Amino acid sequence: MIDKTRAAALHPAAKIHADDFSAGKISRREFLTRTTAMGVSAAAAYGLIGLPTPANAEAHVKVGGIIRVGMEVKGTKDPRLADWPHISNVYRGWLEYLIQYNADGTFEGRLLESWEANADATQYTLKVRPGVTWNNGEPFTADDVVRNFARWTDGNVEGNAMASRFPGLVDEATKTLREGAVVKVDESTVQLNLTSSDVAVVPNLADYPSAVVHSSFVDGDDPALNPIGTGPYVPQEVSVGQKAILVRAPNHTWWGGTAPLDEIQYIDFGTDPSTMVNLAASDEIDANYETTGDFIEQMDTLGWKKLEVVTAATIVVRMNSATSELYKEKAVRQAIQKAVDLSVVLELGYNGLGVTAENHHASPIHPEYAKIPDQVVDPAGLQPALEAAGIADTELEVISLDDGWEAATTAAVVAQLKDAGANVKHTVMPGSTFWNDWQKYPFSSTTWNHRPLAVQNMSLAYTSTGSWNETGMANPEFDAAMVRALALADADARRNEMVTLETILQDEGYIIQPFWRSLFAHVKEGFNVERHPSNEHQHYKWSVA
Amino acid sequence: MLIFIARRLGIMLLTAFVLTFVVFFLTNLPPNLEKLARSEGSVRMSDESVTAWIEQNGHGGSVLTRYGQWLGMVPGWVLTDEKGVTRGRCIAQRQDPAEASRFCGILQGDWGNSTFFKKAVLPSLGEKLGATGWLMLWVMIVMVPTALVIGVVSGMREGTRTDRALSTFSIASTATPEYVSGVILVALFASPVTGLSPILAEWGWIDGKTLFLGAASPDKITFWSFTLPVLTIALYGIGYIARMTRASMTEVMTAQYIRTARLKGVSFGQVVIRHALRNALIAPFTVIMLQFPWLLNGVVIVETLFNYKGFGWTLVQAAGNNDINLLLGCSVVAVFVVLVTQLISDIGYVFLNPRIRIS
Repeated sequence: MIDKTRAAALHPAAKIHADDFSAGKISRREFLTRTTAMGVSAAAAYGLIGLPTPANAEAHVKVGGIIRVGMEVKGTKDPRLADWPHISNVYRGWLEYLIQYNADGTFEGRLLESWEANADATQYTLKVRPGVTWNNGEPFTADDVVRNFARWTDGNVEGNAMASRFPGLVDEATKTLREGAVVKVDESTVQLNLTSSDVAVVPNLADYPSAVVHSSFVDGDDPALNPIGTGPYVPQEVSVGQKAILVRAPNHTWWGGTAPLDEIQYIDFGTDPSTMVNLAASDEIDANYETTGDFIEQMDTLGWKKLEVVTAATIVVRMNSATSELYKEKAVRQAIQKAVDLSVVLELGYNGLGVTAENHHASPIHPEYAKIPDQVVDPAGLQPALEAAGIADTELEVISLDDGWEAATTAAVVAQLKDAGANVKHTVMPGSTFWNDWQKYPFSSTTWNHRPLAVQNMSLAYTSTGSWNETGMANPEFDAAMVRALALADADARRNEMVTLETILQDEGYIIQPFWRSLFAHVKEGFNVERHPSNEHQHYKWSVA
Repeated sequence: MLIFIARRLGIMLLTAFVLTFVVFFLTNLPPNLEKLARSEGSVRMSDESVTAWIEQNGHGGSVLTRYGQWLGMVPGWVLTDEKGVTRGRCIAQRQDPAEASRFCGILQGDWGNSTFFKKAVLPSLGEKLGATGWLMLWVMIVMVPTALVIGVVSGMREGTRTDRALSTFSIASTATPEYVSGVILVALFASPVTGLSPILAEWGWIDGKTLFLGAASPDKITFWSFTLPVLTIALYGIGYIARMTRASMTEVMTAQYIRTARLKGVSFGQVVIRHALRNALIAPFTVIMLQFPWLLNGVVIVETLFNYKGFGWTLVQAAGNNDINLLLGCSVVAVFVVLVTQLISDIGYVFLNPRIRIS
């Protein structure tokens, strides 16, 4: 299946990775993530390591059928403002992405046919897929790509989740797209000229807020109002808190062929998972968005298929030195961090459904992960450290969501701190109020979604300028190492910087990051649904048997 | 009579006015506006963005002015942003600002837009009230006859075994709040892992996994999905109304004219039906009418528990998301329902009891 002309143009690092794979230095998943991120097609990547591309099941799939999925329907909003994967799963029906992150860790061009990065990741050449049309009949062109980059990089829009993703394309003065940063070379080629190297361009283009919208889309509008997109479906109804229905786009030839399902219905059941089990038992839904904690067993009892995917999704119980005097001192933070046995938290908080982490927010499944020496759990060290700081009698308050594994995990952390002699209390809040101040709580737990590269989460959360920095951490060495790491397209080279990053982050003691979650979902027999590590619903892959 | 009704309507308007102002004031407290900004804009907005959002979406300025705008006595806000786009309270999406009216409040019949539903408040509320109407109707159909029969039967022979048994049942059911009885009913009848359902499924008596459904939808009202929510609300009311009926019945049964009728040789059944019942039902009638406002309250819990998207569920969502217009709409509706049922109750009383004259 390898196209000779394409193989000749392979990124030089791809060969190195292939050798690493043969030598057993990296896993298949890591190999695929790294090479496809550099623009090697999935087929070519599989070919490099002598494996056949997984058989495309579409040929045998039955066309037709309806699936009902239990998921919170949060309505739709301007994709770049989307703050939940749930929102994107609805507009994903008609809005597509330039690049897609697949459940097996590969990147696949969707609206792009291919892309290439130069050796130091400062220039990307994007090839627009020919033959793609919008569902109003207009062709999809390089102009659409350029226009969407301008939308994404607009830092003046409040809550634009994409704004901080492409620092190399932005004019810092105007906080908008820099002149000459995104160039239309010809009708089907776009070139990105970055001011500094950035390895996260490809994963960022595949993240859920980066859906590509039509030129008629009014910024800030609800995309469901005038659903012009390139995808196979259109929304028939989007009722917030109730349901969303996607049906085949009429009079539209989708470039990808025929998506098997006729209709996808999302049924909202609120936030209580036991209602979801009730709906499943009474045959009101065929699949769910996610199954958590104790409900996994209940759904198994119903005779549904369990779908599992190991991810880099996690929870971080973190202190904030910017909003609280208590955690200004590193020794205090370190003592608190070391007083917690992470494996106990995994067991109590998440029923052991995951892998223990190492308090540095880089997962073994990230391609650039580096192993650093294990930490020693030291509950006995907590009391002296608190006394030394003069806060031994101060009550520490740990805030979390009021329900589910988030609360259980936080409770497990609090209990261990209490056992170690700290005066600590656990405060819970409902989701509707918790997220209002999530960055500012002195000590609280935050869930983090899976991201393909470790540097993505780290640069968002722990650099002094990170837009989702919730710890107040501002370490110049860390910032500098991050700048260097983001310049290295090659994950192996980046690993040296990762040692620095992981060590500093762990040593700063801000975060207790207990485990990596395995994510689960359930589906009724007879339906083919894929569990995606980032909770993406790639509808065209679904079918009814 | 007309003066009485007019006075009642006046009180209703006044109550609605005061209540909506209180709700408006509470939903417009700064932290609540911040919450709204975050849910409307983005959860991860910075503080400056939140302040800007509040200003740019007409939530700045004094509470009184904004309440006036909602009422329609103060012109709606209009704002032109730096990009030259003019938006405002009365300007619909893509509408030319010049064509929009100056006032658009409840006095002009404009209930505003719900930020949660992303739709106009009035049609959303209408639809949800309809859904709750069905639920209430079935609750009444189940609750009223059951409660009256229990009350009359236990009240006509005070102190007998039947009376004691029925009274115990009534007290137990009225002492159990919905959030307890609902959970117990779901665990007993609608869970695939506990209660009766797994046993029945094993015996092959039921086709599905559960006997009744633990979730209901207004789109598809069936016996299997409606039994548990209706029963949950009705159980509480049954006990309460039955106790009232019993009290009233025992009082009537000791009256002189009942004894006279018995001494004249009228059969017991005849005495109960022809002589006692009408007088005994006056008190329960008021109680039943009082149940309507209370039902609005009860549906909040039951609709949330059974994921039934009606008025109670809407109220919870509106409060949870600080949806100002929707909450105000809910308040007006609640005031209306409470006072109208009170009015009907007072008027009905006159017909049942000729000794009472209104005005």
